[in-house]
Amino acid sequence: MSRLLLHFGCALPGCYLTAGYLQGKLGVDPEKAVIWETGIWAFNLLILVVLLPRAARWARWPMLMQCRRAVGLWAFTYVTGHLLAFITFLLGWDIFRLGEELLKRSYILVGFIAWITLMPLAITSTKRWIQRLGPGWKRLHQGVYIAVVLAAVHYLMTVRSDYAWAGSYAMVVILILSLRFAMWRQTRGSAPLSAATRKPATTD
Amino acid sequence: MTKTTDSSTYQRRRLLVATLGVTALSTFGYLRYGSRQTKSISTAGASTSRTDDADARHSQVAVTTKHAATHYNNAYEFGWNKTDPARHAASFHLRPWTVTFDGLVERPGTFDVDQLMGLPFSQLEERIYDFRCVEAWSMVIPYNGRPLAELLKQVQPLSDARYVAFTSLYRPEEMPGQASPFSTLAWPYVEALTIEEAMHPLTFATFGVYGDPELPQNGMPLRITVPWKYGFKSAKFITRISFTADRPPATWHQETPAEYGWYSNVYPDISHPRWSQASERRILGQGQIERIPTRPYNGYGEAVAHLYPGDPQRYW
Repeated sequence: MSRLLLHFGCALPGCYLTAGYLQGKLGVDPEKAVIWETGIWAFNLLILVVLLPRAARWARWPMLMQCRRAVGLWAFTYVTGHLLAFITFLLGWDIFRLGEELLKRSYILVGFIAWITLMPLAITSTKRWIQRLGPGWKRLHQGVYIAVVLAAVHYLMTVRSDYAWAGSYAMVVILILSLRFAMWRQTRGSAPLSAATRKPATTD
Repeated sequence: MTKTTDSSTYQRRRLLVATLGVTALSTFGYLRYGSRQTKSISTAGASTSRTDDADARHSQVAVTTKHAATHYNNAYEFGWNKTDPARHAASFHLRPWTVTFDGLVERPGTFDVDQLMGLPFSQLEERIYDFRCVEAWSMVIPYNGRPLAELLKQVQPLSDARYVAFTSLYRPEEMPGQASPFSTLAWPYVEALTIEEAMHPLTFATFGVYGDPELPQNGMPLRITVPWKYGFKSAKFITRISFTADRPPATWHQETPAEYGWYSNVYPDISHPRWSQASERRILGQGQIERIPTRPYNGYGEAVAHLYPGDPQRYW
């Protein structure tokens, strides 16, 4: 039931965008709106992915951790949608221009690298891959932290003058990463304590 | 630290996590999409006040709808979002409005904007220009006004005046973008042209668009329109026009000189560092967008290319 709710919630912005685009309700420049909104929702979900372990630990709510793979896949879906919208609306599927844009414009390259970083994560998100990769799976999937940093840089680089939104996103990313970093240091410093916090006593 | 926590604490924390999540999401939703609703309502059934004559001419070329041209604007004074200007337009005071002419002129002075029109608004000339934004989109817009040269000649520029500088309004209480602590632009907005550019017959002192003088989002009550340059060169909300011997500063050029040239003529071969200028998305309204190639000087080359002898790179 909660899983269904999760998928519904993650699909909602995409449905809103698709319906809005088809009905012509995305304002004067629907093309830019699709590019913009898919990007922002990809970023929102990426932030959620890196936020979930913190929240799960703090609230001792392991179910949040179980959501993580699904949210991650949805994030990848929106990143892919963002890229496809860019290629469709701004490049008109001119693949040579995509190459040119990647070489010439660093913010596009940064966004593209973020997508590439997420690709192996999306591919290895099945149960079979988790078993096959063992402990390596977890290490590989730390790549999401790289992707979220790239997303923040990508967003900041598109700003022409007003840094309010892009700056807030970057601050959120920095905050979550510093929490993560503090956790790493804690794990190294005192192993027994972290072992205790890692395994929630009860799961209700 | 190691003492066990009561399970009810977890329950409370979970409730808190869920509440935080829902609050964050709805705040995000309101900030991002909340204002959009009001916009689409306020625009229904607009643009009926055109004369038959104008209507006939508009049907001959693909003119962007008034709704699109008045709800998709770059006027960072009102905010960085293209829907911000229309949103803040209703509370903007268009009158009283005066324009000061100063610097290297025979007859400096301050004039009322209605006086500068010369004629009643309805009798002003209408010109349909292609408007090319530096962001690689364009529109076709009917402008109402008179050649800027007519205004400039009235104050009699001195022979050593080589540039004309335009200063836009500074009014942060009605223009929230000017009050934003996150904006990197220095206010008020300033732009400038060479005296030859300013005196060129295509350079248009604009008092309205679509026969409507009450559109602050389009730069009223007075803007200039310089159709062969990127849109930001056409200063809006003009309150001061100064004649100088030295090249005056220009806001975007000052902010990011590597991205916005001082001349900023439309050259398809010279790309913006963050996007190509070779083509543009022509916005016609009602979701209609065409990708078309960009022309040198935005298609006005025949009339203006002689102003820029030699390598175009020099006039970037």
